[in-house]
Amino acid sequence: MGARRFAFLGLVVLALVYPLLVAGLPVYERLGALVLLGAIGASAWNIVGGYAGQVSVGHAVFFGFGAYSAVVVYTHLGWPPIAGAPIGMALSVLLAAVIGVPTLRLSGHYFSMATIAVAELVRVLSSTFEFLGGAQGLGGPAMPRTVFDLSFLSATPFYYIFLAVLAFLLGLTWWIENSRMGFYLRAIKDSERAARSLGVSAGRYKLYAYMLSGAFTALAGSLYLCMFGFVDPESGFGILISVKMVVMAALGGAGQLFGPLVGAMILVPLEELSNSWLGGRGAGLTFVLYGAIIVIIARFLPSGLLSLFERRPEAPKAKPGATNVADGHAD
Amino acid sequence: MLIEARDVTKAFGAFKAVDNASVSVEEGDILGLIGPNGAGKSTFFNCLTGDLPVTSGTVTFGGTDVTRLPPEARARLGLARTFQVPLTFESMSILDNATIGALMRHPNAREARAKARDVLQKVGLGPLADQPARSLGTPGRKRLEIARALASEPRALLLDEAMAGLTPTEVREAIELVRRIHDGGITIVIVEHIMEVIVSLARRVVVFHQGREIARGTPREVTSDAKVIEAYLGRRRVHHGDAT
Repeated sequence: MGARRFAFLGLVVLALVYPLLVAGLPVYERLGALVLLGAIGASAWNIVGGYAGQVSVGHAVFFGFGAYSAVVVYTHLGWPPIAGAPIGMALSVLLAAVIGVPTLRLSGHYFSMATIAVAELVRVLSSTFEFLGGAQGLGGPAMPRTVFDLSFLSATPFYYIFLAVLAFLLGLTWWIENSRMGFYLRAIKDSERAARSLGVSAGRYKLYAYMLSGAFTALAGSLYLCMFGFVDPESGFGILISVKMVVMAALGGAGQLFGPLVGAMILVPLEELSNSWLGGRGAGLTFVLYGAIIVIIARFLPSGLLSLFERRPEAPKAKPGATNVADGHAD
Repeated sequence: MLIEARDVTKAFGAFKAVDNASVSVEEGDILGLIGPNGAGKSTFFNCLTGDLPVTSGTVTFGGTDVTRLPPEARARLGLARTFQVPLTFESMSILDNATIGALMRHPNAREARAKARDVLQKVGLGPLADQPARSLGTPGRKRLEIARALASEPRALLLDEAMAGLTPTEVREAIELVRRIHDGGITIVIVEHIMEVIVSLARRVVVFHQGREIARGTPREVTSDAKVIEAYLGRRRVHHGDAT
């Protein structure tokens, strides 16, 4: 326990001082912010995909809702993009309910496929709406008008904004994890039938998790727009967005509080490096990279990297004997 | 009557797995459901718990019509069950498994944990509470299923072949456990293959064969019933002299 607390404190301190360590190195300032943004998206996914075990591969739909809400309030109303975040979150909760009620009944791969289908449908539809900029997409404010436009010369302010959002999200997830809802989500993941036999309204809890997850994914989308200032159907609703969230969470450890953050700390730098080394030629390589990682996780690390540091049950040698007590000789 | 099933039929296509079965269980009773493989007793059991919707007929629990209620709603009314093949929450500790049951009446996780620990102590899993549930073998898992169900503080506990796969010693211990649970004021319905279990536990027995009830009574009456013997062992072929 002591070592874990130490590692946790170390991580917090590192997160707080990181921009100071890389001050004056824009590439690394940007990289830090991108890691945190990836971690926000993957941690949001983790609520329904990791804890509840409902593997959505269509979370881009919420990300896109968030990104487009932010840019639309700027383009059509002249508001600062961040003002679109609550709208995107609210719409995503609504959308999650609409998608979730029929699809969360599906189990395993069927649910995953349904979520892909919805996201792809929305991506194709989004390119046909002039209102959303069509296939060209929409851009945010070119020049900052007020501080609320969140347009900065360096990535460091974004870094701290993202860090605050991630801290809040992880705090909320931690709270859920230790409340009845967290227990119930894990139970549903392990055996929905057993959970229901113990009074768990599985359908309702899965839906709650899906809506909450969707809302925070939308927030990640809005934050993305604030930083990049531009979104089109591919960067908003593209399937790669969904896949990234799944792979980051799975790499670190799905259903674990810090799993998505660990995954993002590895994947985002890897992606940025491969992009800068290979330039435009490497664009397709991202998919190859993700494919390889999926294969490796599935084959060797189904519970993610964090499982390597999991505490072993105390006194493993006593296990066979102890099991006998339960099986045969307990009174 | 605590549990009352009236004219329950469960059909899968043209095949009636349960055909017009009516069974009622009084508060405080121990009822045994027996029958050879494929007799429909597990299907009937799942109609009582809500895991399978009935094709026709009604099920009431504690005076409430639960025919259309999902399993979780029946559980909240106090109808708890175990599964024939244990459905353990594999990723959790033994304590957390029991906590899931306890959370139904104790929404606060801390209180639920305390309740779960208490119940594990009662079924003899107390010393193992913090071990991962996947470290348990079949007998331990069956015990854990019972603990989980008890932690939800039920009025009735439905046991689906809770003793299949246990050694004779383990069966005796399990019978003892079920007796203690019953003494604690919980009504028991037990589906079982093992005659010893039924004879030593049940006050009343209903025998199923090919989806229909063919006999009911005390265990002694039922085991000497010609139709029951025939259902289990097959008809003696008088003219050919060979029972196989």
